[in-house]
Amino acid sequence: MSAAQTNGGGGVILRLEDVHTYYGAIHALKGISLDVREGEIVTLIGANGAGKSTTLRSINGLNHPRRGRIVFQGRDITNEPPHEVVKMGISQSPEGRKLFPRMTVRENLEMGAFQRRDRANFKEDVDRVYSLFPRLAERRNQNAGTMSGGEQQMCAIGRALMARPKLLLLDEPSMGLAPIFVEKIFEIVREINEQGTPILLVEQNALMALDAAERGYVMETGRIALADDAHALRQNEQVRKAYLGET
Amino acid sequence: MSSIPADQPPARRAHPAGDDGAGGGSGGIGRRRVFNPLNVLLVLGLTAAAFLYPYYNEALQAIPLIGDFVPGVGAMVVMLVFTMMAVGLNIVVGYAGLLDLGYVAFYAAGAYMAAWFASQQFEQWRFHFGAVGISPELPGIHLSIWIVLILAGIFTTVVGILIGLPTLRLRGDYLAIVTLGFGEIIPQFVRNGDNIFGFDLTHGTFGISPIDSPGFGALGGGLLPESYQTSFERQSWFFWTALVLLLITIFCSVQLRDSRLGRAWIAIREDETAAAAMGIPLMRTKTWSYAIGAFFGGVAGAFYASFKSGAFPADFYFNISIFLLCMVILGGMGSVWGVIVGGMVLGYLNVEGLSTIGTKLNEAFFDPVFGKQIEVAKYQFGIYGAISVRMMLFRPVGLIPERRRRRELEEGVHDESLYDASSH
Repeated sequence: MSAAQTNGGGGVILRLEDVHTYYGAIHALKGISLDVREGEIVTLIGANGAGKSTTLRSINGLNHPRRGRIVFQGRDITNEPPHEVVKMGISQSPEGRKLFPRMTVRENLEMGAFQRRDRANFKEDVDRVYSLFPRLAERRNQNAGTMSGGEQQMCAIGRALMARPKLLLLDEPSMGLAPIFVEKIFEIVREINEQGTPILLVEQNALMALDAAERGYVMETGRIALADDAHALRQNEQVRKAYLGET
Repeated sequence: MSSIPADQPPARRAHPAGDDGAGGGSGGIGRRRVFNPLNVLLVLGLTAAAFLYPYYNEALQAIPLIGDFVPGVGAMVVMLVFTMMAVGLNIVVGYAGLLDLGYVAFYAAGAYMAAWFASQQFEQWRFHFGAVGISPELPGIHLSIWIVLILAGIFTTVVGILIGLPTLRLRGDYLAIVTLGFGEIIPQFVRNGDNIFGFDLTHGTFGISPIDSPGFGALGGGLLPESYQTSFERQSWFFWTALVLLLITIFCSVQLRDSRLGRAWIAIREDETAAAAMGIPLMRTKTWSYAIGAFFGGVAGAFYASFKSGAFPADFYFNISIFLLCMVILGGMGSVWGVIVGGMVLGYLNVEGLSTIGTKLNEAFFDPVFGKQIEVAKYQFGIYGAISVRMMLFRPVGLIPERRRRRELEEGVHDESLYDASSH
């Protein structure tokens, strides 16, 4: 945890400054600025198409911003390719989970450690993932594509953890899951965070996300509309109406 | 970050990844395999049987009825060379999932490397190094074929990287179209390369021949032939050499499949975006598959040119690319053993199987019944097409499917077809 504190950012591990990202001619992100600090869960909520996933794609190098800066642990990663970003310590569970369907659970976890240099702790890390998700241990030799949505989500998060990330990006971990699995996933997200990994959590399930997070950003059509403590956002009139389904 | 994993040569899979899983057979990426003694025995037995083929070939051919269908040693050489190319192509198509319709370009490049460095093509120079079976007075560049094989591999690897870098950014169909283009450009270039600003590089449509034969010269010590061309067992030596080349290709192919690089290829084949998100450098990993596939195509091409003692532009038509692709599909994309079977079967049909079958059919049926003969070999592409269509309908994973694809077949969860063709 000391790495970020020594770079003088007040514990800020990831900072986006006025990021503009395009899909071809479509201006998807219109100047996003946000921070993720050491040890916290930050959530990015908003409607479909607000640019939440694009923000993650900008961070991990799949869609480079045309303007603005992304700084991770004091290093400018704005134009780094995805494999360099992963190597620096940002790993993710992508939208739609994106498992390798014809690889087993175990093989998927192996792929998560692809960029790691220290192979010695590999087994230890697999065991850690299995202890977080006992279900995955049961299914270790099953093809990932044949598991239920909830199990696949567990596998995707487990795979992301295999990189020993310094920052974990989660894109809609609750998408398409039964309520009981949603609860379970959020429990584990908190547990991972308590073990010391900061998390940037993108969610449509704003209620659950704000419960889990310390701080939140509300996105609307490519911009940050609101930024506050999760608790404050939870009380915010606009947020309650727009995202929490309350009247 | 100077060294990136996918850059490492395949031999690197012995790095510490294995130390936690050597016993259980499941370490990190790039696992050590646990050998099943039965499989080892089977492979060793088959290899031994293959090496002895020239000795019992005639005995097999003497068997009534079946004997006529047994390929001769010379035909076997061609089958082995094509199988070697199919195994090479399998690295690109089967492992990395990149549809390459222009593999013939590497075959051509390899063949012309042999033509340039082991023939009289460049009469203006005279340079001999290790060449056997020819007069040292002969003009032209004459390197030992063994050196030429390696040079051809290196050259086609470079060609593969040069073609790959701009094209591998494309996905799926687009890549197929561009590789198809390169497959057409190279034979055209060869056909028109007899006057490049007055320099005769390829000798145009005439091709280049003769090309020197392999051999061991004085190094053979009487045990190994000085030159295959003048040896009494010319065919057998070519056969053994082709077999060794194929075995090397198979060995590398299996090692690569189980390496970290191989796993990265499979990840890209499964889901490119997910692979990128896992930190797999896409371009570099794909380019490696293309380059390594090209390497084997080049070596096979050079060897084949030496066997035929010539390189001709008419050998490098588009249909060869498709033919090789059919071998991969028939055998099972990604499955080395399947591709070997697919390569040998289609290779056999192509070299002499079809004409033998045709002759037999004519003797037994068409001649006595209709008083006419048909030439089955002329229908070859119709026949291969029919085989491919049948395969796609009834066994899309190939004769011997890769483990992963077999699982898919058994579990039947992905890529379900719109309707079940086999139920009709």
